[in-house]
Amino acid sequence: MPAEEMGKLTNRMRLVFAVSSLVFLAVLAISPIKDFRREWKQNKRSYLRFAQTRPDTKKLLADYRAEIDQIWLPGMNVVDRCTTCHQGITQASLADPVVPQPFRAHPPIPHNVRDWGCTICHRGQGPATEVAEAHESTLAWEQPILPARFIQASCGTCHYENLRQTPQLTRGRELLAELNCQGCHRLPGVERPAMLGPDLTNVGTKVSREWIYKWLKEPRTITDKDGNVTVNGYETEEEPRMPKFRLTETELRGLSAYLSSQKTKSFVLYKLDAHVVAAWSKNPELASQGELRFRQMFCSTCHSLAVTRAGETKLIGGDIGPELTKVGSKVNPDWLVTWLRDPQGYLPHTKMPRYGWSDEDLYKVTQYITTKLTDSDLLTGVPQLGQPTEAEIQLGHRLFLEKGCASCHSIEGLNPQKDFGPDLSAIGGKNASELEFGASTIPHNLVSYIQAKLQDPASVNTAARMPQYNWNQADLDAITTALLSMKGAPPTSALQNLVVPRKEVAFHPTGAFAEVYERYKCFTCHKFNGYGGDLAPDLTYEGSRAQRQWIVDFLKNPQTLRPTLILRMPQFNMSDKDAATLADYMTLVLQHPDASPGAIDAKEFTPAMAVLGKQLYEVKYQCQSCHTIGGTGGYVGPNLNNAGGWLTPAWIEAWLRNPQALVPETIEPRRNFTEAEVKALTAYLMTLRQSIKPQKTASVAGSRVATQGASR
Amino acid sequence: MKLRLWIRALFLIAIAAISGCRKYAEAPKPDPLLSAYDTEPDWTDAQKIIPLSYQQSQGKRIFYQQCVWCHADATPAGPSNRSNLTPVPPLLNDGATLNAESDEFMQNIITLGGSALGKSAMMPPYGKMLSSEEIRSVIAFARAVGQPPYQPPVRPASQYSAK
Repeated sequence: MPAEEMGKLTNRMRLVFAVSSLVFLAVLAISPIKDFRREWKQNKRSYLRFAQTRPDTKKLLADYRAEIDQIWLPGMNVVDRCTTCHQGITQASLADPVVPQPFRAHPPIPHNVRDWGCTICHRGQGPATEVAEAHESTLAWEQPILPARFIQASCGTCHYENLRQTPQLTRGRELLAELNCQGCHRLPGVERPAMLGPDLTNVGTKVSREWIYKWLKEPRTITDKDGNVTVNGYETEEEPRMPKFRLTETELRGLSAYLSSQKTKSFVLYKLDAHVVAAWSKNPELASQGELRFRQMFCSTCHSLAVTRAGETKLIGGDIGPELTKVGSKVNPDWLVTWLRDPQGYLPHTKMPRYGWSDEDLYKVTQYITTKLTDSDLLTGVPQLGQPTEAEIQLGHRLFLEKGCASCHSIEGLNPQKDFGPDLSAIGGKNASELEFGASTIPHNLVSYIQAKLQDPASVNTAARMPQYNWNQADLDAITTALLSMKGAPPTSALQNLVVPRKEVAFHPTGAFAEVYERYKCFTCHKFNGYGGDLAPDLTYEGSRAQRQWIVDFLKNPQTLRPTLILRMPQFNMSDKDAATLADYMTLVLQHPDASPGAIDAKEFTPAMAVLGKQLYEVKYQCQSCHTIGGTGGYVGPNLNNAGGWLTPAWIEAWLRNPQALVPETIEPRRNFTEAEVKALTAYLMTLRQSIKPQKTASVAGSRVATQGASR
Repeated sequence: MKLRLWIRALFLIAIAAISGCRKYAEAPKPDPLLSAYDTEPDWTDAQKIIPLSYQQSQGKRIFYQQCVWCHADATPAGPSNRSNLTPVPPLLNDGATLNAESDEFMQNIITLGGSALGKSAMMPPYGKMLSSEEIRSVIAFARAVGQPPYQPPVRPASQYSAK
């Protein structure tokens, strides 16, 4: 090769070498540029720029570092780098909603963000440093951010007891219990009551085969065109407890055959006194007298009836017992008499109290129910089913177990399968890969899965045995929240120690009181030491609150104390002895330590104090804005017309000092009364007396006159 | 010849640069209703749903426990106590009345009661029952539902703020 050619080549080689070096440099430069442009670094820089525009720049940048910021809590499995971008999270001055994300401050919550990290409540990927990876679920990271409207679920993962601040979670937990989800599923914190659905041992004596067929096919739950749940066609806010199962014609025939053959020899129907029937059966006022009695007993506190007002039909009444608008076409009249006389004889765990009905009352009320609360069209569309055949009964028996009916309804001698449905105690922490989405096209994440499953169980699994429910959006979200809160046992012992357990509530009275308490089922509506319903006032401290004589009078003749209440204590026709037993127990046992009735002598209140108290009540504190005295005043608090005959002075004083100390959830605000003002107000309230109107005596007298008239 | 070489080199660089870039997944764009902690229908137009922030949702809870009895026309228990009172208390969404009041005034009247601020003594004080944080959240809720909508006052710029 000639030298000059060599030189030429070298020149060319030099050029190639130079170019490839440049290329190499450029490629090398990509990495630092990429690193410089990483999302979190951009956020870091824009926070710097943002802080410059704020008046408190110095404070905002006090702990600024241009690095990844991390909350590391080894005991709780928390490695959260969220604060790398969300840098203003603890800066109170950035709380304003106009502050752009990700710099806005965290709203004030009971926990310190730095002590807890972020993912414990918000889920998402703590260690991720990219926006999408931290927030969304990807193949590598499975937990997406929990949508804000379900955030109360996170409170529930540690707080097993109900919090005042989480109404949605509490509602969801209530729904899980109310709708008997624990019949088939294992749900932590939702305990199984003694009875979920009614015991069906003797259901053949109660209803016809046709009615069972109709009920199973369409358990009175019908959604109208606007998506509202209706019961028998009447709009209601309550979802009936019995859900709709997707049953075929053969299955309906089998189950109705099996159930209508359920009768045991030991259950005998009660026979009314023939004289009473003879005296009343021809009386044209029979049904209207029955209706009157039905109203006087306040059956509507627990049972609703359809009422048409201004062209609109709505259910009015409580939802503790079933709705009764068409019950006359449902039940066997002889069974109804037996049931009303002694409900606990038919269903040992029923919430229905045993009333002191006379045969006459029983006859009148059952006649009213079976002749007026009827619907001749109730069973239209139901085929004539005839006598059940042995094959149908066998099929029904098998289906009763296979379909899970036995999870809620017991039948004597039948042993149901335990844990019929999937265990849900860790559903809230499941990853999308653990869920079965079937052919559905919903987004693959836990929230969508839960909501799809609740709305239409067959949409994610065509073989689902779960029945069909009708939800409104608020209830659907509430129950989703409750399910999301069930993440199973905390993964680390440090988290385990943070769990706030539910308060164990139990009230086990003994002796004569217990017998009366069980008979009248006081706990259905009233709470005692945290145990019981919440329809009526909490009676835990009733002995401190009310005077013994007032309790006796009230039990004999319940009156409402709050003008706006429509649901009232039923008329139990309680004997003097029962009323005395209850009142004695309450005044002796149900006491608050800070309000001992014996501690204050009513004689210490002078008329001058009462005059001052009246002034304070009417002018300085204007209590009449919420309480009524003598027909004027507000609706919010109880009326005080008979405060002196009802309340104990010790209770009034303790209440005025701090109402929440006695009843934590009361809405009466705590005031700044001086001791002298407390005494004066108590003195005034103790002067207020009004005798209870003798409503009951009049009606009893009236019915007595009527009976005498009839027997003559 | 040279030009071609340069073009090749530039082409290589371009390929390298493009292959070095990766499209980042789009950050989620939150729907204001889905990312809201709670919602409240507009009191004057039930079709309009107002998304609530965390603080406002806390305020909503407290409002419906404590205040609804006198500051709304319908209550969870049915009839409102509002008509029993003179002077009639303003509705919570009464922007015409409440927008003129500062947050500080609202905080004070809820904390200390009406009589302390020369208003009706029928408004009781809640200072011993609710924390100042809770009272602030009620005000935030009132601002969220106010009609006409509430406009926060423009804060005077601090003399120390950066230009």
